[in-house]
Amino acid sequence: MIDEWYPVGLFSQLDAVGRRTALMGEPIDVARDAEGNAKVTGGNGRALPACVRYGHVWSSLGTPQKALFAIPEADQPGRRFVDVGVVRVRCSPLRAVENFLDIAHFPFVHTDLLGAEPHTEVQNYKVEIREDEVWATQVKFYQPQAAKSASGGITTEYIYRVPAPTCSVLYKTCPPRPSEWDVITLFVQPLAEDLCDVWPWMALFDDTTSMTDLIHFQQTIFLQDRSILENQIPRLLPLDPGMEIPTRADLTSVAYRRWLKRRNYTYGAQLVAQ
Amino acid sequence: MKLYDYILSPSCYKVRLMAALTGVKLDIRPVDFHPGAEHRGQELLALNPAGSIPILEDGDLILTESSAMLVYLAAKVAPSWLGSGGAEETARVQQWLSFSSRLTASLGGARLHEMLLRPGDFGALQSQGIASLRELEAGLVEQGLHGMGFLASDRPTVADIACFPYVVLAPDGGVSLDPYPAIRLWSRALRSLENFIEMPGIHRLHELKPEPHIEPGKV
Amino acid sequence: MPARIPAGSIALWRTQSGRVTASADRCPHRGMRLSHGFVRGEALSCIYHGWSYGQTGECLRIPAHPGLTPPETIRVAAHAVEEAWGVIWVAVGETTAEPPRFEGFVPLRSLTAHADLATLKAATGATAGTAGLDWPAPGAPEIRLLSVPQEGYETLIHVLVPGDSSPAQRIAASRAAETLRRTAEDIQAKGLAPWSTTR
Repeated sequence: MIDEWYPVGLFSQLDAVGRRTALMGEPIDVARDAEGNAKVTGGNGRALPACVRYGHVWSSLGTPQKALFAIPEADQPGRRFVDVGVVRVRCSPLRAVENFLDIAHFPFVHTDLLGAEPHTEVQNYKVEIREDEVWATQVKFYQPQAAKSASGGITTEYIYRVPAPTCSVLYKTCPPRPSEWDVITLFVQPLAEDLCDVWPWMALFDDTTSMTDLIHFQQTIFLQDRSILENQIPRLLPLDPGMEIPTRADLTSVAYRRWLKRRNYTYGAQLVAQ
Repeated sequence: MKLYDYILSPSCYKVRLMAALTGVKLDIRPVDFHPGAEHRGQELLALNPAGSIPILEDGDLILTESSAMLVYLAAKVAPSWLGSGGAEETARVQQWLSFSSRLTASLGGARLHEMLLRPGDFGALQSQGIASLRELEAGLVEQGLHGMGFLASDRPTVADIACFPYVVLAPDGGVSLDPYPAIRLWSRALRSLENFIEMPGIHRLHELKPEPHIEPGKV
Repeated sequence: MPARIPAGSIALWRTQSGRVTASADRCPHRGMRLSHGFVRGEALSCIYHGWSYGQTGECLRIPAHPGLTPPETIRVAAHAVEEAWGVIWVAVGETTAEPPRFEGFVPLRSLTAHADLATLKAATGATAGTAGLDWPAPGAPEIRLLSVPQEGYETLIHVLVPGDSSPAQRIAASRAAETLRRTAEDIQAKGLAPWSTTR
């Protein structure tokens, strides 16, 4: 678990003073060094691995065995990259990711934006493990205002991808360019097992909406989720079946929990039903 | 009327809410408060040297205090929101308008600290927030005993709108609202008003709409 | 609304027809607190995904699957509830006993104190009545207090006053209760270090 890459800050906001934060319980400092590179220092002053990708600085308490997961769309010309900024949530990092993978809550939590009654039905979709990542495809949902660039309701198609235990990438119908997908990500920094900093990030085709409007739209969505995430019991994500009851609409969540368990990823998880 | 607005700011929301309730159309100018700190940039400092938002611009008039904006909107289009004009009621409106700045400092400070990682003495902010909530609860209990459901009157006034957002978003700053039954009822009454709008962190009152009848497979 | 009993947190709700129900405060789907939910008709729905539950705890509806009749295994625990003289009583486990009656008294308000029951008693100098505390509050009518221990050192206090009290007397009683809370919290803060440091 300590060998994974985790987001620890927005690169655009780094200065020489840096930011004091934490990673899995250990205090760390994230700063920009004299050459302009990101520098991450652990609690005892040791230098931690650092890389800069998708607008964020990534680090690890251990020794990452492989490079950070790829998002090919991040290099595609014509996209606008949106640094949404950090939001702290008192919940397990895994609960934050699982909520991001969920569509059935849209009508109740993101009312009139991502969903609205009576359009509550979740149709069947496909979930599979591809190259050790969780993928959910052909996810469709009716949305009153799917994106800032959408005018009026549309049935939106989603593809979800979990390339790392605390990160998810969402590909979503792109209203101005039907042949392309908008990319919206959720990068979660585990501060502790029940506390996380969430860094949403986007790579969109949208030439008309102002950057601030794009940021505000995504912050709106995430802040609507926050009050849910802080009121789930238990705070940790139960990995053993029995404690919570999934339905067909929750196949992505089921696959995510199984995938975590198989990888023995237990940070922020609860293993035995209590 | 142009509102320099941040979607997550309860103070900006007060103005949006007041405008919605009184049917005023605002020209919204979004400000990248977080993460961009645009409110500290030259363009906005020229309008408001204090570097705070919201800012309301109407012709030559520039307002930088949300309570003043509520009063302005009400005076312009819906004077009943200022109260009936009696001495006691006018004073009560002023009392709670002033009080609302304590909510901003305490509950608002705790919320910014918990949510957007702003510096502050979190424990002290929470304690001050709890003290303010208790005052508000006691005030609402006494109003109720006088047969009045709102802070200054038997109908909502600008005082209620000034206090409502930071109170209802207290849990965002780790302050529970569970211990305040009078606040809960008051908050529900405000959320049930016609033309009420939400902000992130305040969920829709789904009970106000009947249960939809859903035909399976037709969605 | 949320409430706390020795068995844990509960969601206390009233149906449209007026019946009060005490459900476990956790939706078995994803663990969301049901006290954040909404009541339509005779059912309580979870705010997260709209799963709704009836008064005996059975799941009635899963909006993501409108055609599905929820299996009987999906349910939330419900506790026995009695409403008597304006006070709602929740039983933990089986009980045949009737809740205490407070004839002539009406509920005034409920407030939470950061003080435990013993401290509260010390602060009132009250005598234990048939149920609750009879408190000769200074400058107010005879007050009866029902106290329920909450988490940590917190106590929830329900304040009852005689039904024939005037509005002025009720306001006096409400203010007296605030004073009582301040007194109790002062004693608690001075006497017990754990509370003052873990608040």
